Amino acid sequence: MPIIDMKKVYLLGHRQEREKIFNLLHGMGTVELVDVKSGEGWKEFQELLKPEQPPEDISKVDSKRSDIRFCLDFFQRHFPVRKSMIEQFTGSRLDLTGEQFNNYIKTLEQVEEIHRACREAEENLVRIRNEETQSQNLIEDLKPWVSLDLPLEEVEEGSWTMMDLFIVPIEQYSALQENLIETVSEHCLDEVFSDGENVYFFFSALAEKKQVIDELFRGKAVTRASFPDVSGTPSDILDSLNEKLEELRQERSAVLNEVEKLLVHRPMLMACYDYMDNEHAKHQAVASLAGTDNSFLLEGWAPVPVMDDLETTVSEKTETAILTSRDPEPDEDVPVLLHNKGPADPYEVVTRLYSTPKKHELDPTPFMAPFFFLFFGICLSDAGYGIMLGLLAFYLYRKLTLGQSGRQLLKLLMLGGISAFAFGILLGGYFGDLIELPPLLFDPLEEPMTMLIAALGIGLFQVYFGMGLQAYRNMKGGKPMDALYDQGFWFLFLNGLILLVVGIIPPIGLWMTIAGAAGLVLTQGRSQHSVILKFFSGLLSLYNVTQYLSDVLSYSRLFALGLASVVIGMVVNSVGELAAGSIIGYVVLVIILIGGHFFNMIISTLSSYVHTSRLQYLEFFNKFFEGGGRSFQPFRVKNNYVDIVESEES
Amino acid sequence: MEGIEIAMLGVALAVGLAGSGSAIGIGIVGQSACGLISEDPDKFGQTLLLQALPGTQGIYGLLAGFLIMQDIGIVGEELVELTVWQGYAFLMAALPIAIAGFSSGIYQGRVLASSINLIAKRPEEMGKGIVYAVMVETYAVFALLATILMLFGIDL
Repeated sequence: MPIIDMKKVYLLGHRQEREKIFNLLHGMGTVELVDVKSGEGWKEFQELLKPEQPPEDISKVDSKRSDIRFCLDFFQRHFPVRKSMIEQFTGSRLDLTGEQFNNYIKTLEQVEEIHRACREAEENLVRIRNEETQSQNLIEDLKPWVSLDLPLEEVEEGSWTMMDLFIVPIEQYSALQENLIETVSEHCLDEVFSDGENVYFFFSALAEKKQVIDELFRGKAVTRASFPDVSGTPSDILDSLNEKLEELRQERSAVLNEVEKLLVHRPMLMACYDYMDNEHAKHQAVASLAGTDNSFLLEGWAPVPVMDDLETTVSEKTETAILTSRDPEPDEDVPVLLHNKGPADPYEVVTRLYSTPKKHELDPTPFMAPFFFLFFGICLSDAGYGIMLGLLAFYLYRKLTLGQSGRQLLKLLMLGGISAFAFGILLGGYFGDLIELPPLLFDPLEEPMTMLIAALGIGLFQVYFGMGLQAYRNMKGGKPMDALYDQGFWFLFLNGLILLVVGIIPPIGLWMTIAGAAGLVLTQGRSQHSVILKFFSGLLSLYNVTQYLSDVLSYSRLFALGLASVVIGMVVNSVGELAAGSIIGYVVLVIILIGGHFFNMIISTLSSYVHTSRLQYLEFFNKFFEGGGRSFQPFRVKNNYVDIVESEES
Repeated sequence: MEGIEIAMLGVALAVGLAGSGSAIGIGIVGQSACGLISEDPDKFGQTLLLQALPGTQGIYGLLAGFLIMQDIGIVGEELVELTVWQGYAFLMAALPIAIAGFSSGIYQGRVLASSINLIAKRPEEMGKGIVYAVMVETYAVFALLATILMLFGIDL
């Protein structure tokens, strides 16, 4: 039973026990909550029940959660925990025992203090950063003036003289000098510094000439350099600024040291975050309830296999709650939970990537699994790579703690390794041609046409199998004639064509083709109204033969990819061979062999996986599988940072 | 030209053009990936996987080139004497993977650059991004198939 049946459950309880029941359901994680107000019966209940609001303290929970988040993000910014390559795919969690987790939760009130410390540190760091930028900017501005031996506060306008510091683009400088000599005879221009772009100069003149000078300066794009808040000579100021920068650096490392001391709380914060996040989810779920002054009503979906457990738990652990359930109505939006046993289980990951089946639909997983197993092996088809892949996947499976999908994917790769090993022996691939053993079946390099025909044959079989499944669905759905029209006639027609083309018993092939085609022309237009339209849509449907043709030809990729992985292995071997000869050569040979074969195994595994998936999705699933179901999402504990593991003693 | 040189041109085209397609494709994905990594360095592993995908066209090209080199004896014992017509046959056989490898590498790279945007927002949907990219690669696989079948059909 790959798709689990669901029951609609209703739970009626006393308000005082609401929190207890919520914790119970949340801990069990087997019920998907449904908003009572969205149900059919709500109109009738509306007079009796009023919708529940989330408890008032939800905003408190929310702000506490974001406080913890702030601290964790703050730690991550300054003392990042880097994820390894594998963890980037699997996510890295902290393993805690239930006891450790509870101990951490008990220290929840510490959060406030840590949060305050983090905030303070953050503010300090921001202030330090700002002061640093200010000082650095000032240093940049002052640098050109370092040889000016004049305290800056003395550069000011007097009543008789003007003086100031100016910057002029270098190409204007000589013109400026000439103009000054012409218009303002009494002046002092002292070049302080020139950097190839600008000339920095000190200038003073009589105050009465100020207007003329300003105008002249404007014309030459001269800008004034002003340093309002500092005093002393530029070099003195620079020294003190550098000192200040050093102080700021020390201050920052002092702040960071303080933060580093807080890092011991990181695991506690992670645990508390997950705790608060789950609390928040529970608070929010209240909004889907309805109730009276003293009672509340909860609605949801539960898988049939857990119903007994659910009923006993509710009746044992609570005093007032009543649980009732019913089968789903035909038009209800039932969530779908897949459950495949044994070797088909890992292939659920392939189905889920495409789509969750609808509630009454056939779960394609068990039908697709053997094909996936075979095709993956044919694409990789190397005994050496098969062993390597199997062992690698097994090692990762043992070493990593993963979610359901991750575990299924690794199991799928283990099975893929076994399949590749088998096909490697059958077709004679051992790390390319590193070990030259004769193939048990035949060598695809020697007999490419045999291999190609075999690939197309397997493909044709899968296409027929998909059509058969659709025929089965039609018959089960009470439409046996559709099975005959849409699948039966095609089956007849296609087989007739094949016999005709291959040239075995042509008369039978011919008659099968004609009968099939006639059947299709007569039936494929049956949804049209007028006779003429019926005939033409029937005739047009024969064009679909190209669809079947391209579906089957698509399986030729099995041959191409299988050959590719083996031949690239051979390329690695012959490149290595070039190096062999001296001692260093043999070292290089070993490096090339290990690196090259590992690389090829990874690349070939990747393309085997994706191309095999593609064959299932486009060539197989489209024959019988619709998808588009909603997957079952139970109300349960969800953790972002920690995994609760069994304690080691038990 | 002798036959052998014409066949060598085939090798050069298969390896060079299909490799260029891969190089461009990988380059496009790499540019997008750098943008994502600047925001979220932890996605490096995922983006690297996506970036590796357009590399297959180059590998197919190399594979086709290697098969020709083996046939004409550049790799292996000794050179095979080829007529001019046999040389042309090898050149023609190299063309499918050279042409389709070049274009599908580039377009696969474009699809994957969009997949990088996809995993920036929804990292759990990486699989679907890969499936879209594989649609493009299909035609490189078929071209490789045509090349291989043509090569097996050449009489020496």
